[in-house]
Amino acid sequence: MKKEDTVKLISAEGFEFVIDKKAAMVSQTIRNMLTSPGSFAETEHGEVTFPEISTTILEKICQYFYWSLQYASGKETEFHIEPELTLELMMAANYLHT
Amino acid sequence: MESFLVRMCIEAATESAAAVEKWRRQRRTLESMPSHLAEALLRHLLRRRLLFPSLLEVFKYSVEEIDLRGESCVDAEWMAYLGAFRYLRSIILADCNRINNSALWSITGMANLKEVDLSRCSKVTDAGIRHLLSVPALEKLCISETGVTADGVAGLASLTNLFMLDLGGLPVTDSALSSLQVLKKLKHLELWGSEISNEGAVLLKTFPSLSSLNLAWTNVTNLPNLSSLAYLNMSNCTIHSLFEGEGHKACLEKLVLSGVTMTNVSEAFQYVETSKLCFLDLSSSSLQSFSFLHSMSALTNLNLCDTALVDDSIEHIAYIGANLRYLNLSHTKVTSEGIGALAGHVPNLEIVLLSGTHIDDTAVSYISVMPSLKAINLSKTNVKGLIHQESDVSDGIPTFAALQNLSHLERLDLEEIHIKDAALHPLTNLGRLSYLSLRSVSLTDASLYHVSSALKLVYLGVRDAVLTDSGLNCFIPPPTLEVLDLRGCWLLTKDALSLFSHKHPQIEIRHELIETLDKRNFQYPSTSCTTTKNSQHKRRQGKPSTSPLRSDEIFLDQRLKYSREELLALQFSSATVSPSTHQGNPRP
Repeated sequence: MKKEDTVKLISAEGFEFVIDKKAAMVSQTIRNMLTSPGSFAETEHGEVTFPEISTTILEKICQYFYWSLQYASGKETEFHIEPELTLELMMAANYLHT
Repeated sequence: MESFLVRMCIEAATESAAAVEKWRRQRRTLESMPSHLAEALLRHLLRRRLLFPSLLEVFKYSVEEIDLRGESCVDAEWMAYLGAFRYLRSIILADCNRINNSALWSITGMANLKEVDLSRCSKVTDAGIRHLLSVPALEKLCISETGVTADGVAGLASLTNLFMLDLGGLPVTDSALSSLQVLKKLKHLELWGSEISNEGAVLLKTFPSLSSLNLAWTNVTNLPNLSSLAYLNMSNCTIHSLFEGEGHKACLEKLVLSGVTMTNVSEAFQYVETSKLCFLDLSSSSLQSFSFLHSMSALTNLNLCDTALVDDSIEHIAYIGANLRYLNLSHTKVTSEGIGALAGHVPNLEIVLLSGTHIDDTAVSYISVMPSLKAINLSKTNVKGLIHQESDVSDGIPTFAALQNLSHLERLDLEEIHIKDAALHPLTNLGRLSYLSLRSVSLTDASLYHVSSALKLVYLGVRDAVLTDSGLNCFIPPPTLEVLDLRGCWLLTKDALSLFSHKHPQIEIRHELIETLDKRNFQYPSTSCTTTKNSQHKRRQGKPSTSPLRSDEIFLDQRLKYSREELLALQFSSATVSPSTHQGNPRP
């Protein structure tokens, strides 16, 4: 996979998730960061840091991005959300517009 | 709007009482939650019957608005928790019949509270209102149909930030109103059913920003000039004069005078500035003459239902017809001739209601030249749908064919008219028709056959008709159909109806032999319609199962036990074996 096709999402604890750009674009917020004109650090390095989102939640978010792509292409599987994660995930999803 | 993942999270968080237990101790997260998310979560908990007083505490720092309208469980204990909500701006408690004076004690001194709705909380009296007086920021207060007296109302004078005050159905007297004169910010005032008289009405002039006023069912006959008024409701009053007096005239936009008695119409309207008036309701009023309409050229909505209107007065409506969008002439003495006088003068008319009039089929051709029509009601008229010519021995010419000129027509009501199958044939060519309501004992299976080619229908009613099982069986419903109303079709059997709903599960059938189920039961087959009793049950059980084989559970409604697919599968196989599935209709 070429570097320009991926983005690196960094959690509050500093864990790095490298995912397809296409998947990350599911989030309106990330899409805006990566495509906005001007030379934001995010646009240049393909790296976004989320100091408010914990590793567990960011992992779940990444899973959701891929699930969402599948869902959009017609593959209807269940996306299970553990009740413990619902609140934080909800707030992260709200922030990411996804 | 909430995003997709947010919605999924809320669904998961409110899946069951066990799920709630998993997150309710995440205190810091709950405290930092944006208010719109917290409110959406709370709404879902309420809808799923998972909310109880002590759980409210977790929303203490996040929720700003709460709507508990009609929740009969809301009592003093709930209020005690709500009183601790730090940033609460709005609380709706309308129809919460367990709210009493002591329950309201909890909201004393809430600094951010701007809106309180206690409509129809009949246990709330003057003592309860006194608790509200310590809420200085209050802007909107609804206490209609509570136990508050004139004294309690007079006490509201200290809430000087009020701009909306609903005192409907309370015994407000002139002197109580005079003590409210200090409320200079008041814009919206409801005084229907109060004891206000003409003397009290004079005091209304002292509210400089009053724009909306409801004086229905009062003894007020003369209303002074209220220059800021845009909306006035004086239904069921006797009116002598409106807005008589000096100064700038009110530019009324909406006037509701349903059921009024007017001794002299021209005198009553003499001082009313009508150039901006767009909404006028005079239904059931005692009017005889309608020449006053001439000055109301901005009217878009006109309701003259149940008045003494005759054909001669139609010219006054035609005169101002250019802007009309809604016209209700139901139960008047208008005939086809009158409709003829209207045709050509109402280019923008979208809705025309003519039920209960003496119009006949000639009116249909007049109606068909009103180009913008979207909805027509011809129920209970002399329209038959067929015109017989003297020389003609056949069935006659179907008149509804003329309606094909109306390219926007979406809704047609043809109930309780003497209509035959043959008259319906032209209706199938109405490209946009989505709502068709028929009710006649002379309709047969042929009607169903005709309408099956009306491809945009969403609602179809064929009531009281002589439909047979085989007719229903052959009926191929339009693909968009959602509701099929067959009430009163006495020849149909239960078997035929359930066979039809089995074939077309997306259609809701209404018939005496079909028990209607709430659609929501199926969206949340496991948890939605649970009462408090069996939600406790589920808390013990953990995640509820939808398996039909579980025999140790007690379900209040047997249908809740099964998912929809299971019901459909069981429908025929078990009807003879198990009495418990006997009532299991597969469709809501």
